[in-house]
Amino acid sequence: MADIYSIVTSQQLSYEQKVVALAHAAEDTLSVLPMPERTKYYFEKGVICNLNEGNAPYRPRYIMPDYAKAVRQGVKFLQLDPPQNFDELLTFLQVLYRHVPSITTYPVFLGDLDALIEPFITDLSDEEVKRKLRLFLIYLDRTITDSFCHANLGPQATRAGRLIMEVDRELEQAVPNLTLKYDPAITPDDFAEQAIYTSLCVANPAICNDVLNRNTYDRYGISSCYNILPIAGGSYTLTRLVLPKLAALTDDKEHFLKQLLPEAMRCMADYMSARIRFIVEESGFFESHFLATEGLVERDRFVAMFGLVGLAEAANHFANGKKYGTDAEADAVAEQIMETITAFVNEYECPYCEIANHRLLLHAQVGIDTDYGITSGIRIPVGDEPESIYDHLRHSSRFHRFIPTGCSDILPFDITGKQNPAAVLDIIKGAFSLGQKYIAFYASDSDLVRITGYLVKRSEIDKWNSGQAVLQNTTQLGAPTYASAHLANRKVRGV
Amino acid sequence: MALVRKIIPQSTVDGPGNRTAVFLQGCNIRCAYCHNPETQAIHDAEAREMSVEEVMAEVRKGIPFIRGITVSGGECMLQAAFLTELFAAVRGLSVETGHPLTCLIDSNGTIPFAHHPELMAYCDGVMLDVKAWDADVYHRLTLSPDNEVVKENLRWLLQHDKLTEVRIVCLPQQAVVTTDVADNLRHIADVFAEAGKRVPVRLLRFRPYGVVGELADTPSTSDTEMSDYASLAQSLGLF
Repeated sequence: MADIYSIVTSQQLSYEQKVVALAHAAEDTLSVLPMPERTKYYFEKGVICNLNEGNAPYRPRYIMPDYAKAVRQGVKFLQLDPPQNFDELLTFLQVLYRHVPSITTYPVFLGDLDALIEPFITDLSDEEVKRKLRLFLIYLDRTITDSFCHANLGPQATRAGRLIMEVDRELEQAVPNLTLKYDPAITPDDFAEQAIYTSLCVANPAICNDVLNRNTYDRYGISSCYNILPIAGGSYTLTRLVLPKLAALTDDKEHFLKQLLPEAMRCMADYMSARIRFIVEESGFFESHFLATEGLVERDRFVAMFGLVGLAEAANHFANGKKYGTDAEADAVAEQIMETITAFVNEYECPYCEIANHRLLLHAQVGIDTDYGITSGIRIPVGDEPESIYDHLRHSSRFHRFIPTGCSDILPFDITGKQNPAAVLDIIKGAFSLGQKYIAFYASDSDLVRITGYLVKRSEIDKWNSGQAVLQNTTQLGAPTYASAHLANRKVRGV
Repeated sequence: MALVRKIIPQSTVDGPGNRTAVFLQGCNIRCAYCHNPETQAIHDAEAREMSVEEVMAEVRKGIPFIRGITVSGGECMLQAAFLTELFAAVRGLSVETGHPLTCLIDSNGTIPFAHHPELMAYCDGVMLDVKAWDADVYHRLTLSPDNEVVKENLRWLLQHDKLTEVRIVCLPQQAVVTTDVADNLRHIADVFAEAGKRVPVRLLRFRPYGVVGELADTPSTSDTEMSDYASLAQSLGLF
C-alpha cells in the first residue's frame, strides 16, 4: 500500500505513468500462476525474472497486428472503413495504434510503415508527403510515450522510406524506433547508405539482416527491443534467465551445466507455460479483443520468448579470469552454455505455440534498469570489447546463430562515419555475411543514444536525473542503465 | 620487402568504402603542408620492413569487411616493385575467398605510371595529388624541380581509366606558402575536356595538425574559402 501511495503522490511521474503503475499494482494483488518451491527459489535468487510482466497476464506481451490487412478490410470495432487517401490512412493508423495493447500499454509494433504508406502517396509531392508525415510522427512521439515502439522499413527501396528517413533526420525523436530490413540483393546501396547516414544523425534506423531473419516464420516484423516476431501474431511472454545470478550459486562448471542450468530452465519454462495458458484459457483476450475477433492477430501465430541475459558474466565466472569476447577459453565456456540451453528448448514442449512448433524460442534479452554487472543478452561487456571491430563482429556472428527471436549489437561510431556511409555499409555487409543478425549504431556525438535497444535523449536523461518529470517512460529506464552499464564508455568505432 | 610506416585496418578516408590502408615509408618531395612528415625520410627507426606475406596477413583480417586496400605514403610509388607483388597477392586473395577486393594507389604523381604496365594491370585506380599547376608554385610548395610528370600522369591515367579521383589540398590565401587553387581547377577542367572524361575532384582543407616547418602555425583554411573553391569547381563541371 505504501507503494501505491508513493505512486499516487509522485511528482516525477506523469499522469499517464501513474495510471499505468497503478494498473500494475492492482494486477499484482492477484496470484493466479502456480509457483512451485524451486521456481520460487530461483525467482528469489533473481535467476528467473518475469520483467514485471505482472501476476495475471490479460494480454500477450508483444502484439504484431497485421496492419496491411487492417488497411484492406477496415476495423469494424473502431468504426474505421478502409482508408482511401493519405490523410485517411494516417488518421486510420493513429486511431488503430491507440488501441493496440502490449506490456507497456503502448503499441510495440507499428508495421512496415513504408509499405503501408507507399500506395497512398503516388499523387502527392515530396513536400506534401513530408508535411503530413511530420505531423504524424510528432503525434506518435508525443502520445506513444515509450520508445519500446518500432516501425519497419525495407528491404525494398521506396519513396515512402526515403521521405520517412528525411523527416526523421529533421525531427530527432526517440519514437518510433525504426529498423531497416536489409538484404544486399534487394536493398540498393544508396538506400542503405541513406539509412546509415540517418542513423549517424539520429541513431535511427537500426539495420536487420533480412536474409537471416526472414525464414524464422512466414512473415516477421521487428518490435520493441529488436524482437523478431510473426506478423499477425506476437509473443505471449518474455521471461528471462539471469545467467550470472545462476552462476553465482556454484563455482563448479559441471554442476552448473548438468544440474543448476537444466533445473532453472525447467522451472522457467513451466512458469512461461503457465503464463501462456492463463492468457489463452483464462484471460479472454483471444475471444474478445477486436484484433483477434477481426483476424488482425491469430492465436496460433503467437510464440513465447525464452530470454537470456549476461552470458558474458556467466562464462567469465567459469573461465579462470579469462574474458568473454577476447579469449578463446571464455568463449568456449559460453558456447557450452548456449548449447546446453539450445538442447533444452529444442526438447521442451510448450502449449499454444504452433508457429514455433510448440517450442519456446531463445531471445537475447537486452537488460533492464536494475541490472548491475549484467551485460545484455550475449553481448560483450562494455570495456571488454576486442580492439578490432572486425573481431567484435566475428564474435557476434558466432553467438547470434543460437538466437532466433532477436539479438543485436550496438556500436557507437566516430562522427567521420557520416562522411562515408558506404564504409559503414561495407562493414555491415561483411558482418551480415558472417551471420551477424542485427546491428544498431549511433554517432558518438549524438543526443539520441541507444540504451539497450531503445532510444533516449541524453538531454532528457539529464532532466530526469535532476528530478524533473519527463514525457517518455523509457527515459526513466534509460537514465540508470546509461550510468550503471557504463554505456558512455562503449568502445567508439572510428571509421 | 617494403618499408611500412603503418597499416590502418579500417579507413574511410582513403578511397571509396571501407578499406585497409597501408602507409609506406619514404617520400621524394617535401610538401610544406605535409601532415605526416615522419613518413618522408627514406629510412626511419619507426618504420618496419615487411614482406608481401606479412602485409597480406593484415589485409586478410579485413575480409569480408573491406572493399579493398589503398597504398599510400610517403610516396608509395618509390616501392613500385613491392606494390606489383602486393596487388597480385590481393588479386589472388580475392579469387581464393570469393570476396572482391580493389587495389588503389594514393600518389603524388612524380613517378610515371606509364613505366609500370604490370603494376597498372593489377591496380584498380590512382588517387592523384595535383598540388599546383604552375611549375614555380609547385616548386615552392614541394621543393621538387617541376610538375611535368604529374601532368603527364593525369592525362595518362585518365586515358587508361585508372584515375579514381584528383585531390587538391587548399591552403589559405594568406599563408606564407600557398597555391592558386582556381588556376589549378581550370587547368584540370581543361584536361578533362580534352580527354572527354572526368573523375571526382576532392578539395581537401589544409589543417595544421602534424605539420612542421613554416606552415606549422597557419590556421585551417576558412569555410568561406573552401566554399568559394567548391562553387568554382562546380561551375567548371568538376565535382
